[in-house]
Amino acid sequence: MTAQLLRCAPHPGRDDLRLQLERMYRSGPTSEEAGPVALPTGFAQLDAVLPGGGWPVGAITELMPEAQGIGELSLLLPALAQLGGAGRYIAWIAPPCLPCPQALTRHGLVLERLLLVQARDAQAGLWATEQALRCPAIGAVLAWPAALDDRRVRRLQLAAEAGGSCGLLYRPPAAALQPSPAALRLRLQALDAGLRIEIQKARGGRTHALVVHPAAAVCA
Amino acid sequence: MLWLCILLPRFAPEASAGGRPQAERAALEVLALWALQWSSQVSIEPAGSAGRGSALWIEIGASSQLFGGHAALRERIAADLASLGYTHRLGAAPTPGGASLLARAGLATVATTRTQLRQLLAPLPLTLLALPEEPLAALQDAGLQCIGELLVLGAAAIAQRFGPGASLYLQRLCGEVREPLRMVRAPQRFTSRCEFADPVTDTTALLFPLQRLLAGLQGFLRSRDRAVQRYTLCLEHHRRAATRLEIGLARPGRDAAQLLALARERLAASTLGAAVHGLGLEAHELLQPLVLQNDLFSRAAQHSEQLQQVIDRLAARLGESAVQTLRGAADHRPERAWRMSAASVTASAAAPVGPAVPVRPCWLLPQPLHIDRPQELFAGPERIESGWWDGADVARDYYLARGADGAQLWVFHDLRNGAWCVHGLWA
Repeated sequence: MTAQLLRCAPHPGRDDLRLQLERMYRSGPTSEEAGPVALPTGFAQLDAVLPGGGWPVGAITELMPEAQGIGELSLLLPALAQLGGAGRYIAWIAPPCLPCPQALTRHGLVLERLLLVQARDAQAGLWATEQALRCPAIGAVLAWPAALDDRRVRRLQLAAEAGGSCGLLYRPPAAALQPSPAALRLRLQALDAGLRIEIQKARGGRTHALVVHPAAAVCA
Repeated sequence: MLWLCILLPRFAPEASAGGRPQAERAALEVLALWALQWSSQVSIEPAGSAGRGSALWIEIGASSQLFGGHAALRERIAADLASLGYTHRLGAAPTPGGASLLARAGLATVATTRTQLRQLLAPLPLTLLALPEEPLAALQDAGLQCIGELLVLGAAAIAQRFGPGASLYLQRLCGEVREPLRMVRAPQRFTSRCEFADPVTDTTALLFPLQRLLAGLQGFLRSRDRAVQRYTLCLEHHRRAATRLEIGLARPGRDAAQLLALARERLAASTLGAAVHGLGLEAHELLQPLVLQNDLFSRAAQHSEQLQQVIDRLAARLGESAVQTLRGAADHRPERAWRMSAASVTASAAAPVGPAVPVRPCWLLPQPLHIDRPQELFAGPERIESGWWDGADVARDYYLARGADGAQLWVFHDLRNGAWCVHGLWA
């Protein structure tokens, strides 16, 4: 009777609960097997203020650039290059533009380790993001979700924990106004020279602001 | 020889008990293919008029060492049958008849020798014997009650008193005469199907029968040491052409659970145009399996296996062309300097990046976008003149410019018509 109810009743929190239980009962990796808890960003001044010293691994990071094309992708490239070098794959879920292979190669990314996933709608994109996050062979998942609520971010957060990957979500600046369960939230702003990073939230760390100089436009 | 008999009392429930012997036989044949993964000697007996249910025999004496002994193999087979939803009884003995008799009696003890079999059979009631009613009644009239009392009589006496049929049956039961069994042979190509007593309108209801068909495919592939990279689901409708769904894998595989997971995604993404009356499964192209399919994996092999599974799952749900890899191409025109190809774990050779080019922005726009002449140009020009040979020739000067919102734009001045366009973003 109870089992039947569980199967039939559409309960909004059920998936969350299942994921949470899965996480609780999953036999965790032993300490020597466990990878690093953070992936160095390649920017010393940023690593210095991030808890763990880099992009959180097994967690969601939200990047909220005020516009596209201000260095928001270049900020990730040194870390992504490391992952490719370590044999792990990087999934790009429904990117807004085509990543330029020559630019990525110049930044040290291994093209064979990139997976580009096209999704016909936002929901398919989220599903694909979750699947990719759960795969241990994929070290980082980049996604550009159109709209997200708390519950969705929490799902993705649990998927990232399960797969031990970096979930890197690009979100519109307006998202900064809502709270989010993501482990790390950064607002990005273009300066005449460099990129201003405001750490809005860092689990286990403090809010902070700093300026970095991603090597995007070398000819600038 | 050690025969494992699987008795299936209520076999093929979807074939609506009793009325459809053909559907039941088809289902039994699928199960026979499944059984071929355990042994090359498999035989079946469809349910007869005697109401004894269907039976399937697997010779496990020769192959049990491969699977960790006959007890372990028997457990694996039982677990598989349970997961396929088959109610069953198992019996194991040196003769096929002995195995089915032990299964009918519900004896879990394995008779490994003929002596042991006789000992196990002795106390069992005569009614368990697979004999026609007439000789059975004659035996009971003679005052015999258990099999042991009959066996001590000797073949000649039994033949004389109860007919040669009964005698031959008992000799085969005890292994004194070899029982001629027709062995199932794996076909050259795999096709199997099942029919539904009630039409199915919901794709999720197809998963259970499909699981059974895929178990057959897995057994077939293992027995022939082959794998598939593509298979077809055929949804049969009434008076309408069947719906065919092609399902592809990133690399050859034969694990039924994996094949089912892909079909599940594919079915979830499709809607049924009409009720489904039957389900077919076809796999024509049989490939060499990749090594390490079922063995201990190194970490790298494990990663590639996991990656393959996620690629397959994504492609099954989002479409074959939805998961791609990127590489460079030898062309100076940015819009032609890249190629996309279907993602695959096996494609690991380093792809050429194309000619060395000056630094490029991370993002390319799918189409150059017309803009007004930028106020200020920060770097450039880089002249790209190319393509006179294929009719898509360009002559452009590329610069770095800055958008009103602070974005760094890769713009070009078209030297042919004087237009200005954005072609990329220094993201």
